[in-house]
Formats: sequence, C-alpha cells, structure tokens
Amino acid sequence: MKQSILVITISRIMLPFVFLYGFYIILHGDLSPGGGFQGGAILATGFLLTYFIDDERRVDLSRLLRREKYLFLALLLTGTLSAITRGQPFTNFLSPDFPLEIRRIFFLLLNVLISLKVALGLTAIVETFLEEGQE
Amino acid sequence: MNLLSRRLTAILVPIGLAILFIQFAQLIPELTTPQFENAKDYIMQRGYEETGAKNLVSAIYLDYRLFDSLFEAGILLITVVGIVFMAKSDEDVY
Repeated sequence: MKQSILVITISRIMLPFVFLYGFYIILHGDLSPGGGFQGGAILATGFLLTYFIDDERRVDLSRLLRREKYLFLALLLTGTLSAITRGQPFTNFLSPDFPLEIRRIFFLLLNVLISLKVALGLTAIVETFLEEGQE
Repeated sequence: MNLLSRRLTAILVPIGLAILFIQFAQLIPELTTPQFENAKDYIMQRGYEETGAKNLVSAIYLDYRLFDSLFEAGILLITVVGIVFMAKSDEDVY
C-alpha cells in the first residue's frame, strides 16, 4: 500500500473524533436519528483509519469472530430476558411501571451490544480482504 | 436405516421449524385495532409511553419488532463468517 505523510497525519487527527462521533450516535440511539447499526458502522470506519496510519497492523481474525458470536448470544439473552421478568418475550425487560429514564437502560444495552457486534463484523470483513490482498 | 432416519430428519425438521415460526409469529403483538386504523397512528400516539424511546424508529426495531432485529444481527454474523470462509485460502480455514 502506498504511504503518504499527509494521509497519515490527517488520519491521526481524525481518529479520536470519528470514535467520539460513533459513540455519540450509539448512546443517543433512542433519542435522535441513528442507533446501534449506524454507530457500529462509524466505529468500523474509525478502525479502517488505523490501517492508513500503520498498514503492518494485524488483528487475529478467529478472535474477532469468537467475540462476535458471544455478543450475538448476549443479544439473544437480552431479548429473551423479558420472558422471565415480564412473562412475554422480545420486549423491554423492565416493566412499564418504572420511569422512562430507567427503562432507557434497555435501549442503551441493546444499542451498545448491536453496535459492538456490527463494528466487529465489518472489521473482520475489512481485515480478511486486506490479508488476502497482500498475498 | 441410515437413509430412513435421514429422510425422517429432512421431513421433521422443517415441520418443527414451521411450528416454532408460527408460535413466535403469534407472540408479536397486532398493532391494528378498531381504535387505530393502521400501525402508523398507533405508534405515533402510543409509541413513546409504551416503550420510552423518543426516536420512534428505535421504538419499533428495539421493542415492537425486537424478534426481527435479533435475527437480523444473526444474519450479519453468518454473512461475516461466510465471507471469511470463502476468502481464506484452503489450508487455514477456521
């Protein structure tokens, strides 16, 4: 890959802002447009920027995929937890008696889980293409 | 014997999946009631107080239709695993 000092410098400046914006989109998922999937895609873009900074950087693919599987199981658990607490699956596990600020925990949890899963998945795709392209 | 059991599995597994699917589909609440003509009116009026999300898109995909969202995430997982499996050269498949 061609290396340019301009691209490296601009990427280093942009990197923290990209991650900050990604986390903003995720944590405000239930208040404003955006959400877990979009925020996760932004986080994966930030990860792509680290390849512009250092193209020798490598991540273990099997570890990424294993973590993604665990996150998917955690998502399923969070979704079906309401079958125990409220008696009906696939809805908020906190009952409607709680104030709205506390019931928001459910959305935050799901958005964070989905975003991490999407970020890991897109990172794994990019990593695969980079590894195979170098041979 | 082996062939018979394989054919039985091929018949029974889709039937089991269909029963599970029908069961889950009945769990998803019906949003059109006589009071509200279509789902849009229902969600616009009741979405915030029922789910607690100001963003009604979030209210739909994380509460009313959470079942779909969960397995949409599963589809992404399968896609990533498939891409890695096909892109890797033969000797180092996980």
